[in-house]
Parts: sequence; structure tokens; C-alpha cells
Amino acid sequence: MLLSQHTGAPCEATVKVGDRVLAGQKVGDCAAFISAPVHASVSGTVKAVEPRKNLTGAMVMSVVIASDQEQEALAGAEARDWRALSPDEMRKIVREAGIVGLGGAAFPASVKIAPPKDKPIDTVIINGCECEPFLTCDHALMLARPDDLIEATRLLIKAVGAKVGRIGIEINKPDAISVLEGKLKDDPEIGVVQCEVKYPEGAEKQLIKTVLDREVPPGKLPSEVGALVHNVGTALAILDAVREGKPLTRRVLTVTGAVKKPGNVDVPIGTPIGHIIEQCGGFAADPGKVILGGPMTGWAVDELSIPVQKGTSGIVVLTKDYIEKNPTLACVRCGKCVEACPMGLMPNMIGIYAEKQRWDDAERWNAMDCFECGACAFVCPSKRPIIDWVRRAKRAINEKRRRQREAKS
Amino acid sequence: MTDSRLFITPPPHLKKGDAVARAMRDVILALVPVTLVAFYLYRVNAVLMWAVCIVSALLTHFAASRLLGKKAGDISSTVVTGWLLALCFAPTSAWWLGVLGAVLAIGVAKELMGGLGWNWFNPALFGRIVPVVLAPLFVWLGPILSPARWSMSLVDAASQATPLAMLKGNGLAGAPSVTELLTIYPGGAMGEVSALALIAGGAFLIFRKHINWRIPVAIIGTVFVLTAVLGRHPVHQILSGGLLLAAFFMATDWVTAPVTDNGRLFFGIAIGVLVVLFRVFGAPPEGVGFSVLLMNPTARWIDRMTRPKLFGQ
Repeated sequence: MLLSQHTGAPCEATVKVGDRVLAGQKVGDCAAFISAPVHASVSGTVKAVEPRKNLTGAMVMSVVIASDQEQEALAGAEARDWRALSPDEMRKIVREAGIVGLGGAAFPASVKIAPPKDKPIDTVIINGCECEPFLTCDHALMLARPDDLIEATRLLIKAVGAKVGRIGIEINKPDAISVLEGKLKDDPEIGVVQCEVKYPEGAEKQLIKTVLDREVPPGKLPSEVGALVHNVGTALAILDAVREGKPLTRRVLTVTGAVKKPGNVDVPIGTPIGHIIEQCGGFAADPGKVILGGPMTGWAVDELSIPVQKGTSGIVVLTKDYIEKNPTLACVRCGKCVEACPMGLMPNMIGIYAEKQRWDDAERWNAMDCFECGACAFVCPSKRPIIDWVRRAKRAINEKRRRQREAKS
Repeated sequence: MTDSRLFITPPPHLKKGDAVARAMRDVILALVPVTLVAFYLYRVNAVLMWAVCIVSALLTHFAASRLLGKKAGDISSTVVTGWLLALCFAPTSAWWLGVLGAVLAIGVAKELMGGLGWNWFNPALFGRIVPVVLAPLFVWLGPILSPARWSMSLVDAASQATPLAMLKGNGLAGAPSVTELLTIYPGGAMGEVSALALIAGGAFLIFRKHINWRIPVAIIGTVFVLTAVLGRHPVHQILSGGLLLAAFFMATDWVTAPVTDNGRLFFGIAIGVLVVLFRVFGAPPEGVGFSVLLMNPTARWIDRMTRPKLFGQ
């Protein structure tokens, strides 16, 4: 169990080597506002508390648990009526359950449903668009648990004091649209919005634009325009936590590409990805890349012992054919990235400056407004790794801003 | 432990396959129709000039890479430059002009500026126009060279006035018909012999999304409107004098044109205005080339002035 698998402050281990832990028991926590506790997903014995590699290749303090195969769950979890709970109580439950955005960004859900007082939220949007091509886990969940999804939407509406809920679904999922539309016929509160099949439709700001025709200003959060967005998986996790007292210890993810039995699987968080690939029949062809997340923004990893994190939405196995053979060339100013960018940025300029580590210039060209969808690098004929550079630039710019803040205080 | 079969590469992990070299092959494909018409009209003259330009461009490319100590890399863009340069010449032009043009285009305009992506001027036009600009400085060479037939073309050929020159002289009298200009008409540079062939090539590049419609449409539209206002036979103006070649293949050169939508419109309109100014007040033959070259260095500035609207602003 990695102790930092969310956006925000990392957790401290709350167990020590030799402890017996139960499934659902908290093993890491942190007092910071933007953070989320981590729970054991299996019962067993704590074997080590040590740094382990996460999907980006960074070493992260982790609690290593040897499973006893008994899955003995923590007692005390019981069903309750969420309609009787106050928004504050719901937020506390969501925080304690360690729920983060399951689409990939892993932003703590308790923070998202605690909008600032001066920014009332009128619409809860459920993101049923899938953030990436290849991934189908939210699609599968919409078909498997449509009633729960509607209940989760109502719960979120109550939690943030919104008026209505909208479920945005890309029109390439007609089965999910018809199931949910059938159940929501004449519903005064919740409706389905059909979205264009166009990457990156599942990105938060793009979805808000489609559903509400409101644009979230640069550097601002959706609450700025009165919206709260959660994807299908996260909404259901919130429902499970509030209604049944279940902490986030499992998630559904898509296993696809060159595996023998591709599909959506419900796995304990912390499972090594190699084990999941084995359970899906193993590699169907000689693998060249294993991607955690989707094929557009996911991370390629070279170790199969890396565990599934809360934000791991998919395991995509690609053959060697998907390794780019064309060399990275200088920017030829074709402008395809400018045409492709959904944020109105000029990725060519950000890339040129970030490549030379001129972070201030990258910042002037709005590097911080990039949400790394990868459309620019996808169309780039010079095969420039723009997203890689943007990520570096963002790290450097954030570091600089942090130093400036510290210097001021 | 690391799995040796697995590679770590930056996202995105799906690739589109349209590398620069692929786009350049499409440009070559788009140039084939007009080139074939030129070959048909001018026979061996055209073929030789075409070969001289491309071979010189390639030799310059390899020589420059060696001198600058870098890998030669892909040659497709060099072939495109040499090819476009050839289309800028009349088949009767001196062969050494082709060599000189290729050396200037690849050696000076491209490689000395840092290679593909860093050039400030369209290399082919640079190679075509710079000798014209600098010619007065070298007039003294003429008497020395001409006895050795240096200034002669490879094959003696009769040349005739270009359609644009006819327009300038005496209105439409004696000028070719629109149908002739559209389909096939000798006169002027090799890349001016068939408007339809150029339009087909340009349309193909727009369809393949290698070029954006804004630049050619802005240039052609501006020239049409301005010459119509000035009463100077707008259709003939568009179809002659290398305007289509420049609008579809030169002004749309990735590196030396703006990358923003509004910037492209502005760039195209500015070129159109310059073309009309050159044609009304100046010497027509290289007016289009001059116009594009004059605007080339402003592309990066235009980009900064026309940054797209940021999402949410």
C-alpha cells in the first residue's frame, strides 16, 4: 500500500512491522487538508514499511502487507441512511474512507465536495465519458450499477447543496445512455447529457463546457462556475463509503491490449500489476510497453511488481510496434499542436522553452494551464515529447512558486 | 525488479505515424501534377533543371551536415526544397542558377540557420530571389563568364513573354484565356504552367491536413479583391505569375509561416497586399516571391501577436 497515491500531502504509516491488519483497516493517515488516508485492502501481516516504486518510477514510503488469504474485514462497517446525514458528516466519512478521484488525477474527493462558501455549486456532473481511449471501466460500471449511480448522484447533490445533476456520456456508449435515460425519464433532478466522442471530452473542464456551456477560467477550479465533477467510479466509491461504511480498498480498472483475456476487473488496491496481468491470461504477445492509466496520458512502467494505486484506471499492454522509432526533431512550426490543443495553448512554444529548461518562458506561454491530455504530442510530426516537457516545466514552476511563497512569509 | 522487455517512453503511447518525412512525401506527391505538365511542355529542359536543383540540394545537404559535424538525417525536406526551387525557374534559366540557388537554399537559408525548423526564410524562395537581389553586385562577372557560355541554359530554347508581362503591357489583348491558364499554358516558371495542377496539389495537402486553408485562401482572396477594385483582371491575376504556387506551396511552408489561425489569415492578407503592390508598381516576375520572403521573418512575431484565446478567458 503506497502511502502517497493521491494529489496532496503523503500519509504517515499508522501500523508497524509485525502488526496484523484487517481488510479496510487504516494503515496510513495525514492531518493535512488536501490528503487522503490509505487502508489495507487485504488482511495479513505488515512485512515492511519501506520505500517502494510507484508508477512514475519515484520511491514512495509504503506499507507492505503479506496477505493471509482470509480477507478478514474490519468489523463495524454497517449500512446507514445517507439522507439523514448532514453534508459535513458526509465529508468526514468520505475523507475517512480515503476516497480520491479514480479517473487518474487522484485528487481527494473530500476536498472537492467542500467548495468555498462564496462559490455555491448548482450542478453535479457525473463524468461517464471515460478520460481516455481504450478504457471502459466507467462504461462497465454504468451498466452494472445504474441504480447505485443515480443514488450516488443524489447523494452528491445533497452533499454540496446543488440543485440538479447531469450524467455526461459519450454517444459511443448507447447502451449506458438508454439504461440511464430509461431510469431517469421525467426525473426533475437528474438528466443524461449525450456528449460528442472526441478526446479529451472526459476532461473535467471540457465536460463542464459541454454540459453547462460554462468555461472554467485558467487556474481556477470547477466550483468557480458552480459545478462539481466526479467520474462514475468515484461517485460509486463515495456512495459505498457513505451508505455502507466501506473505505476505498478496491477499484475497477480496465486491462486491455496484448493480454489474453482483456476486460474490466475489480481488484484490491495494492495488487502488483503483474499478478493482474497473469489473472487476465498473461501477455498475448511479446510486450513492449505496459502502461498504467490510459494510452494518452498514462505512465509506462518497467516493473511488474508495481502496485495498483487508487488512480490507476487501466493497465494497457502494448507490443513493440507502439514504440516510436522516428527521432525527435526540432519544432517545424507546423502548428498542428496549436490546432489540437483544447485549452487554446501554444504547445510548440511551451515545448521549445521547456526543452531548453527555460521555465520562466514556459510559464509565460501558460504551461500551468495544460492538463496534459497529450493531443499535441499525438499530432506532432517532429515526435516531440511535449507532455514530458510540460510535466517537468510544471514541477519547476511549482517549485519556484513555493520558494516565492516561503520567501514572502 | 526490472522487466527487460518493457520500455519506458513518454506519453502519449498511441502514435499517429505522420512524421515529418511522411508529410514531405505528401508534398512531393502534390507537386507531381504540375511538374509533369512542365515536363510535357518543356521536355528535356525542364527535366534537366529539375534534376540539377534536386541533386545540388542533396549534395549541399550532405556537405553542410559534414562541415557542421551533424548527422545528415532525413533528406525528404531537402528534396522538397530542391523541387520547389526548380519550379521557380523558367526552363530556359541558366543551369548554374539552379546550383547557386540550391546552395543558398540548403546551405545558407536552412543549415546555417540551424537546420530544418530554425530557418527564417522559405529556403527555395531564398535560393531563387537572393541571386536576383544581389545580381547588380556581380554584373562585372558577366563579360568574363559569357564567352564560356556560362550564362546560357543547358539547351537553347525560345522563350516567350510570361502571361503576367502580357497583362501588364496591354490589358487582356494577347494574354492567354482563363481556360488556357487553368489547364496548360507555357510561359513563366515551370511551376506556373497549370493552375488546375497546382490547385489539385494544394487541395490534396489541405485534405491531408499538412497545410491549413487559411493562408492560401487569404492570399488568393486578397489579390482577387484588390485587383478587382483596381480593375486589373482579377481572375488572370490569380492564375498567373506563380501566385498559386506561392499560395499553396511557399507561403504555407510550416517553418516560415505563423501557426495560429488568426496569424495565418493576417499573414496571407499581408502577402496578398504586397503582391498587388509589386504588380501595380514594381517588376512582376518575382513579385510573389519577394512578398512571401518579406513576410517570412514576421511569422514568429505574428504568432506572439495572435495567441489563441485561452480556454476560460
